[in-house]
Amino acid sequence: MIHADVKHLSDIVDREALGEVCRSFFGLFGLPIRIFAADDSLLADVHVEREVCRYANTLKGGRDGCTSTVAQVRKLAPASDTLLHTCFTGAVYRVVPIVYDGATLGRFVLGPYLPSEVREVPRSLLVVDSGIDPERARKALEEMPRVRAETVERIVTHLRGVLDLILFSGHKSFLTSEMHVLSERESFRELSEKNTELERAYDRLKEIDKLKSNFLATVSHELRTPLTSIIGYSEMLAAGIAGSLTTEQSEFVQTIRSKGDLLLKLITSLLDISRLEQGTLRLEYERVDVLPLFEEIIETVRPASARKKLTIALDVPTDGIPEFRLDPLRLRQIISNLLDNAIKFSHEGGTVILGARDVELSRDPFPDLDSDDSGLVLLAAPHRALEIQVRDEGIGIPVAAQERIFDAFYQVDGSSTREHGGTGLGLAIVRRLVEAHGGTIRVLSEVGKGTSFYVVLPEGELSL
Amino acid sequence: MQLDFQTRELLVKLVYYGPALSGKTTNLQALHALVADDARGRLMTLETRDDRTLFFDLLPLTFRSGNLQVRIKLFTVPGQVIHNATRRLVLQGADGVAFIADSQRSETKANTAAFVDLKQNLADNGLDIKKMPVVIQFNKRDLIDIRSDREIDQLSQQGREPVFKAIAMQGVGVLETFMGLFELTWRKLEREHGLHDKFDIESEKLFSDIRARLSVVRSGSTIPGPPR
Repeated sequence: MIHADVKHLSDIVDREALGEVCRSFFGLFGLPIRIFAADDSLLADVHVEREVCRYANTLKGGRDGCTSTVAQVRKLAPASDTLLHTCFTGAVYRVVPIVYDGATLGRFVLGPYLPSEVREVPRSLLVVDSGIDPERARKALEEMPRVRAETVERIVTHLRGVLDLILFSGHKSFLTSEMHVLSERESFRELSEKNTELERAYDRLKEIDKLKSNFLATVSHELRTPLTSIIGYSEMLAAGIAGSLTTEQSEFVQTIRSKGDLLLKLITSLLDISRLEQGTLRLEYERVDVLPLFEEIIETVRPASARKKLTIALDVPTDGIPEFRLDPLRLRQIISNLLDNAIKFSHEGGTVILGARDVELSRDPFPDLDSDDSGLVLLAAPHRALEIQVRDEGIGIPVAAQERIFDAFYQVDGSSTREHGGTGLGLAIVRRLVEAHGGTIRVLSEVGKGTSFYVVLPEGELSL
Repeated sequence: MQLDFQTRELLVKLVYYGPALSGKTTNLQALHALVADDARGRLMTLETRDDRTLFFDLLPLTFRSGNLQVRIKLFTVPGQVIHNATRRLVLQGADGVAFIADSQRSETKANTAAFVDLKQNLADNGLDIKKMPVVIQFNKRDLIDIRSDREIDQLSQQGREPVFKAIAMQGVGVLETFMGLFELTWRKLEREHGLHDKFDIESEKLFSDIRARLSVVRSGSTIPGPPR
C-alpha cells in the first residue's frame, strides 16, 4: 500500500552519501557533526579529537566526565525543539531534530564547540581532577573552535535546509521505485489473469473443435454403411444378378454406381481429415520401392488424363531412386490427390510431370530454438528424404490464395467447384499427411502458367 | 488510517480522483499555496523519466490540535484511462476521496466514466463506495458552456455526496473541498475508532485549528498553472 510515509531515515538516504555531506560540512565550518536515526543508530560521524579532550582523557576525572557527557548527549532525542548540552570543558553540543513531513526521523548533533562568549576557563574543567594543570588546560581549550550563537543558528538553518532537500529527493526516488515495483506487479497480475482467461477460451475452442471432428467422424461413418449397400446392390444390378437390364437401365445403374463411388470418396476424405485433425491417424512405415508405386498411381489416373488428352510424364534420376521407409498407403494418397488436382486444373492437351529424387536434409534437432546456424554442423544430423514434385501447366493459383489452399474446404474460386468438381478437402488432407510424416509442402505457382507442388518426406526412423 | 498512540499521531490518506485534466493537481497546487508554511510539506510529483507516465502527486500536510498531531497525505491519481493499475494502487488504504469533475458539458461523459472507474477500483480494493467518505467538486466554473449552477444544485440535493464548486486555478473552492472531505473523513474515523475518547479531542476544535492554518495570504504568491 502506498502511504508515502517514511519510517526510517536510512530508507531514503544513502549512508555513504550522507557521510560525504557531513565531511564536506566539517571541512567548511570546522564543526564536528553526528547524525542519528530515530532508533538511535548512528548514520554519520565526522569529528576530530580536540586537544582539551585529549588532555582531559589522560586524567581519571576527565575520562569519567567525558564518558558521562557523551552518554548524556546520546540520550538527547528532541521531538521538535533544539537542545543544548554543555560539557565540563565549557564546550557545547547542539542536538537538532530532523523533522520531515511532520515526523521526527532522527537528529543531528553539532559539537563540541566553544560558544564565543566563553572567555575564561570554566571552573568545572579546573575541578574535574585534582591533578589538572590549569595552564595546560587553558592552552588546550584555546584550540577549541569558537562560534558565535547567531552563526550557529545560521549554520543549523542551512544544514536543515540541505538535509530536507536530501530527504525530499530520497523520498521521491524511494516512492518512484516503490511505485514502479508495485505497478509492475499489478500489470503482471492483470496479464496473468488475462492469460488464464485466454487459456480457458482456447481450451473451450479446442473442445468445440474436437466435437466438430467427432461429429464429422461419426456422421461420415454412419453415411458410409448405407452407401456401401447402395454401391453393392447397384454393382449386382449392373452385373445382371437380378436379371438382365435394358441398355438404358444399365446406363442408369452405372450412373448410380459412379455417383455412389464419388460420394464414398468424399466421405472417406472427411473421415481422413477428422482423424488427421484429432491426431489419431497412425502411420504404417515400411520399405517402399518408389518407382513402381509411381507407375501404379499414374495408371489409376490414366482415364481422367486421357479424357483431357494430357501427357503424364515421370521425371526421376536415371540411376533410379533407392527404397525409402514411408507409409505407402499415405504416400499414394498424397500423390493421387496432387495428380488429381493437376489434371483437374490443366488445359486440354497439356503435360503433367510427376518427379521425385532423394535428398539429404539437415534436420535441426531443436526446432523450437531460434535457429541462427551456430554450431549447426555439430547439432544437425543429416537425414534422407524423398522429394516429390507434381508440376502442371494449368490455370495456376493467385499468390494471395497460395497460403489458404491447404485449409479444409477452401476453394480459390467458389465457381471452380462447379466447373472442376471436388470438395476442397484434397490439399488439406495432403498437407496434414505430409506433416504427419514430419515433412513439408510448398507451392510455386503463376496464374495462367501453371503450378508446382514440392513435397519433402523425411524417411521414417527405424523402430528400435 | 494509521494511529500511533505513543506519539499521539494520526495519519490520514485522502485521494483526489477524477478524469484526466479535470484539475486534481491544480487543486493540490492551490492548497499548497494557501496552507501555512509550518503545516505543509513539499508538493511532490512522481513521474517516470522515460515515458512521462504520471504516477501521482503527493502533498503532505501536518496539523496540531491540543497534543494530537494529524498528518494528512493528499494524493492525486493519473486520470488517463491507461493508468488504471496506478489508480488502483494509489486508492489502496484511502480514508476519503475527493472526486474532481470537469464542469464543461463536453466532459460529462468523461466524468461519468471516471466515477464508474472509481467505484470499480474501490471494489477491487475491497472497499465499498457507499461506506467511503466522498465529496464531489465541479471545477472550472469560470469556463463557458458548463453545466449550470441550477442543474448541479438540483442534482446535488438528490445525491449522497456533498458537492463543491471551484475554480482551482484561482484557488476558489479548493479549501472548502478539502475541509469538506476532511470533516467527512474525520467523522467516519471517529465513529469507527472512537478517536474522541482515545485522544480526548473535540472535532470542532480540531477543525477550527486546521482552518486557522489554511487560507494564509502570502504577499506576491500566485497559484501555479495547470499541469501538463
